[in-house]
Amino acid sequence: MSQAQASPPPMVQAAGVSKWFGDLVAVSDVSFSIGAGVTALLGPNGAGKSTLLRMMCGLARPSNGAVTVLGKDPRADVTVLGRIGMAPQQESLLDYLSGREFVELAAQLHQVPDPVEAARHAIQTVELDPDDPRRLSTYSKGMRQRIKLAQAIVHNPLVIALDEPLTGLDPRQRREMIDLFHRLGAEGKCVIVSSHVLDEVERFGSRVLVIAQGRLAAEGDFREIRNLMDDRPLRISIRTDQPRALAIALLDRGVISGCRLEGDNSVVVDTSDPVAFRRAVAPAARDRDASLLELRPVDDDLESVFRYLVGQ
Amino acid sequence: MNPHIYRVVVRSQISTGRLLALAGLSGVAILLAFVARAADDPVEVATRSMGTFGTNVFAPFIALALGSAALGNLVEDRTLVYVWLRPVPRHTVATAAFAAVISVVGPIVVAVMTVAAAITGVSDLLVATAVATALAVFAYSGLFLALGLRFKRSLLIGLGYIAIWELLLSRLGDWFARLSVRSYPMSILSDATDVSMRLADRSTLASYIVPLAVGLAGLVYTSWRLTRTEID
Repeated sequence: MSQAQASPPPMVQAAGVSKWFGDLVAVSDVSFSIGAGVTALLGPNGAGKSTLLRMMCGLARPSNGAVTVLGKDPRADVTVLGRIGMAPQQESLLDYLSGREFVELAAQLHQVPDPVEAARHAIQTVELDPDDPRRLSTYSKGMRQRIKLAQAIVHNPLVIALDEPLTGLDPRQRREMIDLFHRLGAEGKCVIVSSHVLDEVERFGSRVLVIAQGRLAAEGDFREIRNLMDDRPLRISIRTDQPRALAIALLDRGVISGCRLEGDNSVVVDTSDPVAFRRAVAPAARDRDASLLELRPVDDDLESVFRYLVGQ
Repeated sequence: MNPHIYRVVVRSQISTGRLLALAGLSGVAILLAFVARAADDPVEVATRSMGTFGTNVFAPFIALALGSAALGNLVEDRTLVYVWLRPVPRHTVATAAFAAVISVVGPIVVAVMTVAAAITGVSDLLVATAVATALAVFAYSGLFLALGLRFKRSLLIGLGYIAIWELLLSRLGDWFARLSVRSYPMSILSDATDVSMRLADRSTLASYIVPLAVGLAGLVYTSWRLTRTEID
């Protein structure tokens, strides 16, 4: 009997990669493999996503470990850059060029056989006008994002790294860009998209690498990550006229794992089952004749979600 | 050299401020030439004018303005990434930037100074001025190209270098003078007219070799730096 079919080799691989700038550790011992399709790099601002993308594209050198793209070190072997397309996060462009000149320059430097036609095609793909003679300095934020994407795909690369590419786009443009990422992924390209917006990544419906505090906090299908996030303990602040009595009632019902009184009319509780807590809090208040004045999650921001995942 | 990068760098260098500086310094060169022509000893005054202004001021300041900006501006506004991401050997980026600086600064400075030399009426100065200015442009362009890539405030540092090292410290003694770029092209002018000038006592061979070596050293350093640097 023949062996089971081997999975295709990863297109991007990070092995124990760390990157520090002086005392600041931007990326810490991160390992992953990425193949064809869309992969989201999710994490809060400053988590190390851009640094990872920069290392994948040879813009930065790992302080430790190794990053390979298509089996090669993009820092040492410039030929592999011909298979990589990148849209960096910064807005700055070569403002004295028109959009067409900018994308044509990328095509020329990649030695695309027909740079003029390739640039036209790439610009049309991102829904800009290839005949627009205006300089890039006049472009809006959304147009700048799209022209950055055009220069990243003009040479038909196998690996496409896009750093926060949806920032500044309107909802329709976002939808179209996400469709484009999926089309590129379906063509067998490795599309890596970084984002700090959870809902945005949800719409990619893709594999996710969660980066937090420079570490790989979680990895897998988005639904699994989402479930993990939803299962995390929640800290809730309750404002009531009887905080002590209400806290005891909630402890008795087993829906909170801890509590801390804050002043005369507030208690902060920890729950690992938010659904059961929501069901129990009103009856508990009624039983103790307490008035519920406010319920407010105190760590529901994305930052705390990532912190939790790192802890896991 | 990569022609596409060359074109981009040339376009990035053209700005109103730089063109005005170029026009202003060109005007001063022509004015000095007329003053030298009307002097009692036009050979001495013209040689000193061409040496002092052409190789000490015009060439270094224009080379600084354009050379430091060639790659420095791309680093500062974070657009070097659009060159770096391409499968282009790094030395071709440095060579293209160097060629862009030389091809903009060179013809203008050399042409203006040669016209100025012609106006002085000192025929011995004509070729010497063209050669001395061209060598000064070559040396300073390489130097300031490297400076632009290495330092963030390269224009300020370059101005400090010209003012403190080239114009002040070089007068302190022969050792300092030997490390001053301007002493070499000035020696070419001095040799051509036999007018003795301070610092202009380098050998003929050194007068040609050293500026070429300085320019090439700047280019080599720029290439090396490009392979090492991390792109923001």
